[in-house]
Amino acid sequence: MSSSTSVRTDDPPAVVLTGITKRFPGVVANSDVHLTVRRGEVHALCGENGAGKSTLMKILYGMQPPDEGTIEVNGEQVRFRTPSDAIKAGIGMVHQHFMLADNLTVQENVVLGAEALHGIGQKARKRIIELSGRTGLNVDPGVLVEQLGVADRQRVEILKVLYRGAKVIILDEPTAVLVPQEVNELFDTVRGMQAQGYTFLFISHKLDEVRAIADSVTVIRRGTTVGSADPKTVSSRQLAEMMVGSELPSPETRESTVTDTVVLDVKGLKLLTPDGSRPILDDIDLVVRSGEVVGIAGVEGNGQTELVETIMGMRKAGSGTITLQGNDLTKLGTLARREAGIGYIPEDRHRHGLLLTQPLWYNRILGYQTRKPASKGIWLDTDGAKKDTERIVTEFDVRTPGIDVPAAALSGGNQQKLVVGRELSGDPVLLIASHPTRGVDVGAQALIWDEIKRARAAGLAVLLISADLDELIGLSDTIKVMLRGRLVADADPSTVTPEDLGSAMTGAGSTSAAVQETAVVEEGEN
Amino acid sequence: MITTMEEKPHVPAAPRRKKFPGWAVGMISVAGAVALLSVTSYMTNFPQLTSSGTTQTAVRLMLPILLAGLGGLWAERAGVVNIGLEGMMIMGTWGAAWAGYQWGPWAALVSAVVFGALGGLLHAIATVTFGVNHIVSGVAINLLGAGLTKYLSTLVFFPLSHNPRQSPPVQPFDTYSAAGFADWLGELESGQRLFISDVAGILRGLVTGVSPLTMLTILLVPLSYYLLWRTRFGLRLRSVGENPHAADSLGVKVYFHKYVAVIVSGGLAGLGGAALVLNPGQLSYLEGQTGGRGFIGLAAMIFGNWRPGGLLGGAALFGYADGLQLRSGGDTVLALVYGVVILLGVIVVYQLIKRKWFSAAAAIVVAVLLYLLYISLDEIPGEFVSYAPHMVTLAVLAVASQRLRMPAADGVVYRRG
Repeated sequence: MSSSTSVRTDDPPAVVLTGITKRFPGVVANSDVHLTVRRGEVHALCGENGAGKSTLMKILYGMQPPDEGTIEVNGEQVRFRTPSDAIKAGIGMVHQHFMLADNLTVQENVVLGAEALHGIGQKARKRIIELSGRTGLNVDPGVLVEQLGVADRQRVEILKVLYRGAKVIILDEPTAVLVPQEVNELFDTVRGMQAQGYTFLFISHKLDEVRAIADSVTVIRRGTTVGSADPKTVSSRQLAEMMVGSELPSPETRESTVTDTVVLDVKGLKLLTPDGSRPILDDIDLVVRSGEVVGIAGVEGNGQTELVETIMGMRKAGSGTITLQGNDLTKLGTLARREAGIGYIPEDRHRHGLLLTQPLWYNRILGYQTRKPASKGIWLDTDGAKKDTERIVTEFDVRTPGIDVPAAALSGGNQQKLVVGRELSGDPVLLIASHPTRGVDVGAQALIWDEIKRARAAGLAVLLISADLDELIGLSDTIKVMLRGRLVADADPSTVTPEDLGSAMTGAGSTSAAVQETAVVEEGEN
Repeated sequence: MITTMEEKPHVPAAPRRKKFPGWAVGMISVAGAVALLSVTSYMTNFPQLTSSGTTQTAVRLMLPILLAGLGGLWAERAGVVNIGLEGMMIMGTWGAAWAGYQWGPWAALVSAVVFGALGGLLHAIATVTFGVNHIVSGVAINLLGAGLTKYLSTLVFFPLSHNPRQSPPVQPFDTYSAAGFADWLGELESGQRLFISDVAGILRGLVTGVSPLTMLTILLVPLSYYLLWRTRFGLRLRSVGENPHAADSLGVKVYFHKYVAVIVSGGLAGLGGAALVLNPGQLSYLEGQTGGRGFIGLAAMIFGNWRPGGLLGGAALFGYADGLQLRSGGDTVLALVYGVVILLGVIVVYQLIKRKWFSAAAAIVVAVLLYLLYISLDEIPGEFVSYAPHMVTLAVLAVASQRLRMPAADGVVYRRG
């Protein structure tokens, strides 16, 4: 915000969208959207998932033509037929899902499509190194993208846009994949570039971040712009209520429902990398009790995924035991573990939770193929499955035209509600929830939180993994911090702040009394 | 206190340094293969293993496999699985014969490329425009290629050759030999000295009876590499095979590049068909002539890890196995089994050094079994000999397919938007 002086108000605005309307068969994605972005500012566009932000940006980036309305760039009316038209006009887009080819080098990814500028050889390389500094990227352009971490991949994306000479940069939910520290680095990059005269359109539904970085905010709801706000004066809550158009949910749980009954007991769990060179999970001890939510905090890639997959039996533990309600699960397969009473919300619903091309009721059967109501003896019970899908659709408010549409036709939030509904049916004793509200809208988020809370009150044990620290702190009864395959600290959710957790997650140590290092670490590290 | 960690969570990995550049690995592999063959031929007393005649046949038989493999490389680098290579190759054989008996070998080449490319175009229309599953479309093209050529042969060739399964003879290419050099190599080869004679024999086979098609095909390997890895067009084509959504978002014409790649792929497979028709041993179209070489070409490409250099190695291996069985018969192929035992011995030592006990044990078991086979048989039965290349394909793919990296979006139907 220090650089808001660089916002020039006398020049024509960098981008003006007027009366943009876009219809798809059956839905109106955007109707009469107005947006003005001044040159040199960071302009945030807020809205729930499905509110039409992405469509709007696709229109601005030339990926889809608007049905009505006009686009002006630097005071001149333009028509974008393809992204290259938008690029020529100086508009660049950093997609939420990285648009990078992992098996190509940084240089190849950057020059792709813009070979005409500096070729694909040494000249391009020099230019890339020159521009790298502006984004804080510090790797050789000859490195394969697959070897980069998330934050660096994002810098490569920004670099791509800069290389093409973009002056207006659209950042589509750039922080969704970053931890707090990386978010700060990104914001430093953004501010630095803003000082150099770049304009940013920052799309997000994380309101704290919007308030931290933006010079002005436009809120979009149900496909239309509902207003603008000054991020310096508006509160996150007010912004959120503009987005949703009503009162807000919160992840906060009230009274403790923790009992003494141990449901999941993990002892000495170890897992090695496939080549056996180093441990991914190192001596994990973990207890989850009935009615308790145990949250695992950690920077992605520190073993959380592997921990969950080992408990689910998708990976074979090197050593250690996993006990559920006194039954040893260690040698059982995934199906047997599910039958023993584990529900599982996978972190990537497209890879593990759903068959996108199959109808909803078909997805209902997944993981329940041996149990009621999806099966009768050795036969699948399609009627039962369909009936129970109807129940989930009603109880969990899955917005769908019917249970025969393929899962891919649903929005992310509705897909997730279906998964949550499925995993909570069949009376599980333990729910493993990996990023249960990742990439879902506020409404779905509230519903999922409520369902988890309700199940917890009814005695369900929950193991929660989340990158959303507010969610983690709000829902959990106990938080454990995971770092490089070990549980290195415990935190008390009633007192800990996201910042404390963040520094414990990166191993920077913590000054907060709410985070207590576990003894193991001290012995191990000293 | 938590002691400070020595690194940040997302430190970029240091650039992976290859121990050897690709060409060096290639040279070492070639030297290793020659050494292995020469030791085998010395131990088993089968000089045919490295004779110039075997090499010459091997090169001729390698050509169709190499061309099919290059075809596969082009298509798959753009993300289209081309299992229809066989069908495109069959169409190439017919096209080559049809133009070849009328207007000579050069016309045969052109016509084969056109016929193959038509097959490729069909595959592109099905997979790229209509989003048909790549395997389904490929299998359909294989069936179509066989059926269509059968029909066309009956229609066109039968009145001339009085055989619906064969075309009239095709005029061959002139061949060229490096006369003086080859004679000198011939002397060395007949000297029967370990290694020197073997190298001389192989080299002599390579410089004798070389047709323009051979030179063209060999040139196509570096040319493909240059086009695909060193030009803007190639970068775009490969990006389409790795992440078409990313490519599209950067203004790369995904459909266009896929079309070009698959049509070139078909053209190359068709050229492979021409290489069969113009092979001095046959010189006409024969039904069933391709004998699965399109698939073997695909296997050679997979063996070569979707790279032109590796593909050349794979094609040479399969061509050699094919050439050996055609030229020499069962006892020589059995000698090759002995060579495999030696190779496995080397692998066992390597695995033991790397402390991979399971792999070493598996290699020992296979080696012992093969050795028992070797000492208990006089020659491999004729029924099996003609399947030597297929066996080699199977064995090599089973072993080599562990650490391969295919283009990330290979075989994935891409829809815009």
